[in-house]
Amino acid sequence: MADKKIWVIAEIRKGNLTRSTSQLFGAAYKIADQKNLDVVGVLMGGEKSHAESLAQKASLVLWINDPGLETYEATRYFHAIWQLIESKGKPVVILASASSSGLELMPRLAIRCETGYASFCVDIWWEGSELVARRPIYGGRAYEELALIKEPALFTIRSGAFSIPGNLPNSGKVETITLTFSDDLGLKLIERKSTTSSKQELSEAECVVAGGRGLGSPENFKLLEELAQELDAAVGSSRAVVDSGWRSHDEQVGKSGKTISPDLYIAFGISGVIHHILGMNTSKVIVAINKDPEAPIFRNSDYGLVGDALEVIPVLTKELRSRR
Amino acid sequence: MKLKIAVLVKQVPDHEAMVQVKSEQELEIEDRYVCSFFDEIAVEAALNIEKNHPDAELFALSAGGKRSIDALRRAIAMGIDQVVHLGDESLEASDSNYTAQVLVARLRILQPDLVICGKQAGDDDYAAVGPMVAELLDIPHISGAVSLDTNPDLNMVNVGCEREGEIWYLESGFPLLISAEKGLAEPHVPVVTRVMKAMKANIQNIPLNELELHGNKPQGRIHRIRYVEPPSRPEVIMMQKPFPENISELVNYLQEKGILS
Ligand SMILES: Cc1cc2nc3c(=O)[nH]c(=O)nc-3n(C[C@H](O)[C@H](O)[C@H](O)COP(=O)(O)OP(=O)(O)OC[C@H]3O[C@@H](n4cnc5c(N)ncnc54)[C@H](O)[C@@H]3O)c2cc1C
Ligand SMILES: Nc1ncnc2c1ncn2[C@@H]1O[C@H](COP(=O)(O)O)[C@@H](O)[C@H]1O
Repeated sequence: MADKKIWVIAEIRKGNLTRSTSQLFGAAYKIADQKNLDVVGVLMGGEKSHAESLAQKASLVLWINDPGLETYEATRYFHAIWQLIESKGKPVVILASASSSGLELMPRLAIRCETGYASFCVDIWWEGSELVARRPIYGGRAYEELALIKEPALFTIRSGAFSIPGNLPNSGKVETITLTFSDDLGLKLIERKSTTSSKQELSEAECVVAGGRGLGSPENFKLLEELAQELDAAVGSSRAVVDSGWRSHDEQVGKSGKTISPDLYIAFGISGVIHHILGMNTSKVIVAINKDPEAPIFRNSDYGLVGDALEVIPVLTKELRSRR
Repeated sequence: MKLKIAVLVKQVPDHEAMVQVKSEQELEIEDRYVCSFFDEIAVEAALNIEKNHPDAELFALSAGGKRSIDALRRAIAMGIDQVVHLGDESLEASDSNYTAQVLVARLRILQPDLVICGKQAGDDDYAAVGPMVAELLDIPHISGAVSLDTNPDLNMVNVGCEREGEIWYLESGFPLLISAEKGLAEPHVPVVTRVMKAMKANIQNIPLNELELHGNKPQGRIHRIRYVEPPSRPEVIMMQKPFPENISELVNYLQEKGILS
């Protein structure tokens, strides 16, 4: 094993490693291969099976097996990573998803490690001895490329930015680690409430079907949910729909909602003003269905269909079903 | 207990302002600046707490060049009377770590019980300054807050925060930092008398050399190499056939593209 390491922070949601976690390995191997670095998975909490599936992707998995890490809790996770750094030494790079927990932990870690941190990265690479990250700014109206000079360089990676690497030759070891925590951690989780009706979670989904005011009523989102089921997609919505109380905020795509990059984004009855576009314009393929041929959404789409969403959705669902 | 709340605000280009890459080293930004979207929510959240606890003491802080003064005027117009402007134009090019250091230099003196900032600023979209401030102050933080309830004795808050597909309700004592997500509060449009007051207000500036900054440099850990254009999308392909044939036309395209199996 090379003595220089890249740590990949794994996340478990609903009992599985997230798709974003697998994508992190795409980023990790890209920079590891150029400099002969080892890719190490870091798993906080979870079960042995998670650690083992992670080990298929990494040369080593550091599994912090602690019941207190069962559910994510910022302070405890932060202490866990910090203790791991102190006992294992600093890696060259730490990668985490730009998820709610990644975004909470990594900036704190940057301060504690006195190092640089780049958030929402869509690409990373070496330029000589410097690691460079590309990230959108001004809601994606421009991009910046930043060099991180100190080790460990910390990054959160935007979901969808990297593909999940194919056959990895790795079958790494799992090292179980026990840490001690003080009990007084400041925050206490009282309750968790689910807010999505779709099976898929928006930022994780490979496919998103989104509805806007053009769907006419909250009831009509049923049609969209059926289509989502057919496509194994998550349901997204415009702000107008959320503000009208038709859907919950965590389904909102856009500047004041979520920024997502699925492989396929289909917008039904969404006008496509800049605030919405900023949240989805990095999707790989964008399809728009709108009854107004002049709707701005078409300027930001790969494929457009002029028509009534309420007519189109059921036919599309049927068409997809028949082709299976 | 008398609650002391500090709100962090930043002036950024409006969402609809034109932003273009002029060269690798320069952006062209249309001159339409506003108080960052989530920061106005943070201000309103502080005002909401004040409604329930009238003796709460509210502050707004902004670090940066002259433009920051406008974010503070907005905070005054909305209802926060005590505002402080930190630093100068040199901060406009600084990284989030340094910005956090500057804010913390003042926060250490103010010693607020609660710090509220925005989820992410509308310019760099970094989502880092809040957690960094919390770490420097060595206090807990909760990102993406959508609700905040204080109990009457003010020894505890219950904060709802958005997690993937869920809302988590966390209990915490003070001091605490939270970052505001949409839904935490609904910013109101300031009344004219407050806007007048804000325009006339004399805003205190604390220059960098009067802040204890522990020898940090504006760009010690990270530096921008260049700006680049966002990737562009090819011209849209419109479906040509009438309904319902245009549906199979669309599905064919997606299958050809390998996006649907
Ligand atoms: C600071 C700020 C932040 C914002 N953040 C966001 C954000 O995060 N996300 C977001 O989405 N918006 C955001 N907005 C709001 C945005 O400006 C728009 O108001 C919103 O996106 C419009 O939603 P919509 O497209 O669903 O509705 P509308 O603009 O009303 O558009 C409806 C569309 O549906 C079409 N239509 C109508 N009937 C049908 C039909 N039967 N079949 C097909 N098409 C039909 C119409 O032609 C029209 O194009 C923000 C605004 C501001 C000021
Ligand atoms: N220069 C600044 N002055 C005051 N507050 C700031 C400044 N920069 C960032 N913040 C606060 O930190 C939040 C997150 O900013 P950022 O990490 O830049 O996305 C913002 O919404 C503000 O509340």
